[in-house]
Amino acid sequence: MTAPLLVVEGLKVAYHRNALALHGVSLTVAPLAIVAILGNNGAGKTTTLRAISGFIGLDDASVVGGSIRFAGERIENRPPHANAARGIVLVPERDKVFPNLTVAENLTVSSSAGVSSAGRRRLEAIVFAFFPALASLRSRLAGLLSGGERQMLAIGSAVLCNPQLLLVDELSLGLAPVVVEDLIRRLSALRQELGITVLLVEQNANVALAVADYGYILESGRVVLEGAAAELRGRREVQEAYLGQTSGAERRSYRALRQDPAITERPRE
Amino acid sequence: MSLQLLANVIVLAAIYALVGSGYVLIYRVSRVLNLAHGELMMVGAYLLVALAGLFPLNPPLALALAATCGLLMGIAVYAVLMRWMTGEAVLAAVLITIALGILLRGLTILIWTTQQFYPGASFGWRNPPVHLARGVQISSASAALVCLTAVVYLGLLVFLRFTRWGVRMRAAGQNPLLAEQRGIRLHGVYALAWGLSTFTAALAGMLLSLDAGVDLNMATIGLKAFPAALVGGLDSLPGAALGALIVAAAEIAAIQYVDPLLSDVVPFIVLLVILAIRPWGLFGSREQLDRV
Amino acid sequence: MSDRSALAKELSLFGTPARRLRLALAFAVLLVLPFLATPFQLDLLNQVLLASISALALMLLTGFAGLISLGTAGLLAAGAFTVGVLFREIAAPFWVTLPAAAAVGAALGLIFGLPSLRLRGLYLAISTLGLHFVVVYLGGEYEARQTLSTGIMVDSPSIGGFTVSSGRAWYFVLLAFAALALLISVNLRRTRTGRAWRALRERDVVAAALGINVTRFKLLAFVISAAMTATAGALFAYFRNFVSIDAFSLYLTVQYVAMIIIGGMGSLAGAILGAGFVVLFPYAIEAAAGYLPARFGNMVFALDYAAFGVVMILFLLLEPEGLLGLWHRLKNSLAARQSGAKSTTAPQ
Repeated sequence: MTAPLLVVEGLKVAYHRNALALHGVSLTVAPLAIVAILGNNGAGKTTTLRAISGFIGLDDASVVGGSIRFAGERIENRPPHANAARGIVLVPERDKVFPNLTVAENLTVSSSAGVSSAGRRRLEAIVFAFFPALASLRSRLAGLLSGGERQMLAIGSAVLCNPQLLLVDELSLGLAPVVVEDLIRRLSALRQELGITVLLVEQNANVALAVADYGYILESGRVVLEGAAAELRGRREVQEAYLGQTSGAERRSYRALRQDPAITERPRE
Repeated sequence: MSLQLLANVIVLAAIYALVGSGYVLIYRVSRVLNLAHGELMMVGAYLLVALAGLFPLNPPLALALAATCGLLMGIAVYAVLMRWMTGEAVLAAVLITIALGILLRGLTILIWTTQQFYPGASFGWRNPPVHLARGVQISSASAALVCLTAVVYLGLLVFLRFTRWGVRMRAAGQNPLLAEQRGIRLHGVYALAWGLSTFTAALAGMLLSLDAGVDLNMATIGLKAFPAALVGGLDSLPGAALGALIVAAAEIAAIQYVDPLLSDVVPFIVLLVILAIRPWGLFGSREQLDRV
Repeated sequence: MSDRSALAKELSLFGTPARRLRLALAFAVLLVLPFLATPFQLDLLNQVLLASISALALMLLTGFAGLISLGTAGLLAAGAFTVGVLFREIAAPFWVTLPAAAAVGAALGLIFGLPSLRLRGLYLAISTLGLHFVVVYLGGEYEARQTLSTGIMVDSPSIGGFTVSSGRAWYFVLLAFAALALLISVNLRRTRTGRAWRALRERDVVAAALGINVTRFKLLAFVISAAMTATAGALFAYFRNFVSIDAFSLYLTVQYVAMIIIGGMGSLAGAILGAGFVVLFPYAIEAAAGYLPARFGNMVFALDYAAFGVVMILFLLLEPEGLLGLWHRLKNSLAARQSGAKSTTAPQ
């Protein structure tokens, strides 16, 4: 088995040095995998992603415990451009494109770290191949794009940074289901073509589990469940709590439901 | 308004526009208001004085060197001082520029004393008047300044629109976070903005000194150009040009028809008016206001 | 200690016996000082006391309520000119001009404060900058119209039949005003107004949501601060027996801003410390200039500018919490060293 690309162990993140947002999150991402982080609002998904990408310092938050290892190297509390240079590229939840630049300019601005100009041209060709709509929108201002088009541009810009690990924060937010499905299929195919690894943070578990290989479910800053996507999909508890398939009873949190020893669980710390 | 007055307005507008572009460059890219801009412009003019003394027989060389020094000065100010404030509160950065202005003022007096200098005289240049149509005339230096302002604006607009670094600067100005994520080094972009800003300021200062000499009051002209930039919208270059026109017209009209003492206060009255009715300026982007 | 008595302790002005003793001691020292100091030192003290009033006013506005203002020089000018004009036009006495100056200041404060209802931070500062130039223009216009090329001469004030002109007399007058300013500031901070201002400084959107009348408290901050500053300006006119618009430049405003930064933002003691530092600074530079070659020594004011700029930059970069911040850091490092020393000298 090849070494995992990203290993997070016991990650603790605190805001303003006081409020713990993550209480010891551990996850592993194998190379070339698509891994999903699921959970409701406030579960700590975005915080985890921020900690990995290096953008944690902005909200006066910092990693106060545990470790993040990327390709064997520890990267917690490093500045964002250092992580970007290492190949960890983030597609953020909000403000994901430059609104007053055209699509073409947005793509130009992405800096391909450690790639020759021929390599960059290849990346550009791939982006336009997988997102053909972008080609016809080249001179459109990014702020005038539709939600789906903007997301495509955001992913395309991120790809042009030659990532090894692509972090995608809330891909589906504000987008129609049809658009999301299309995007997620393209993302998966893109992953195949480029040989990159994807870490997906999603509130919409259906979408994420449809394409992911492995999944983690976060709640209140802790991993409460993890497993191969197929198994997670099949679990009744997960279905009721996260996939919105209730049998009439009101939605309950995972913790309130019976636990199944067949799925690996994280003991409460 | 007589044609001569119109010519005067255009000359004054060119001054405010050229100096104002410096405020816009830095604000647009890094959200910092450089209140030392007037003093930096003044230093540019004094640099010409020094270089004119060194190369009295070679004006083009002196001018080119002075402009280059202006560029380097801006980069140096960022690299040594302003870079530490990147990411900190904007207000603190602005206060530092105020302190820098005071420091520069003191150093300038220490090096050159308070007397007035005429670098043109070192070159033996008498600044002959240029005769335009119908008896209107302006000095050669003024004519050069108007032309130069147009060239500089054109150059800046082309640079920002079409070159790689220009697009990077625009991107960094819109969303510094995203820019960092996409591999743009903010320090480099900001240093370039500062360099270009002091470059245009030095050009303005140099031409003004060739026209009317240079002394400490030149910094005041720099400060008066600020309302021009604000009226247009602190992050818009075309806005700065329009704002300069408005402020210059108001100032000259006030001096001519009301009271010459109004000269220094009219730009700020225009500033107060625009803050009252449209704080983000004529062409500025609105959301900047809430971010401060 | 029960909650009630703890709260009472916090609210009381002259808390514990230890505190009362310190205050009494300070009071005694302050009373005796003018009789021990040389005339030169006395003048310096007077300048510091005078500056403290405006520094406290600015601390209330910017440090407490978080409202940026570059209007200090304009407000000082307004107070000074009120005295000058009233004295010159109608020979008004002290007990008329001073309240008049405060009133003019308050009115101007209202005007300076209006932009704060719509603008924040940088843009608010810019609006006060614009107003500064308007005030300076009006003052200059008056001087020009009255052909006063050198400013307005003002006689020493007469308080209760006693003419205040000696250094010692001024000391007690200024001490009284400074103490009054301090008392007002301390009280404002402890009361509902002060808490409202603190809420404003943090997030005025949140403050509004909490039911605080943002408009009222913003304007109140400006009005009170401006009235205090204008009063200081009026005292300045009498202190120097002279009013001229040239004294009220942007540099003066920057000096007061520097006072609250160098002293330490958000604290009244910081305002006074900062006032002392900035007032005494030029004299220190002048003394140092004696050691420099004659060429520089002759341009002390330029040296002053340059040195002031450097010091301000250093504080902004390295110690944004000012002298108080430095003091706390020093105390902490000394305490750390002490406890370290203690453990090494602990008995075996």
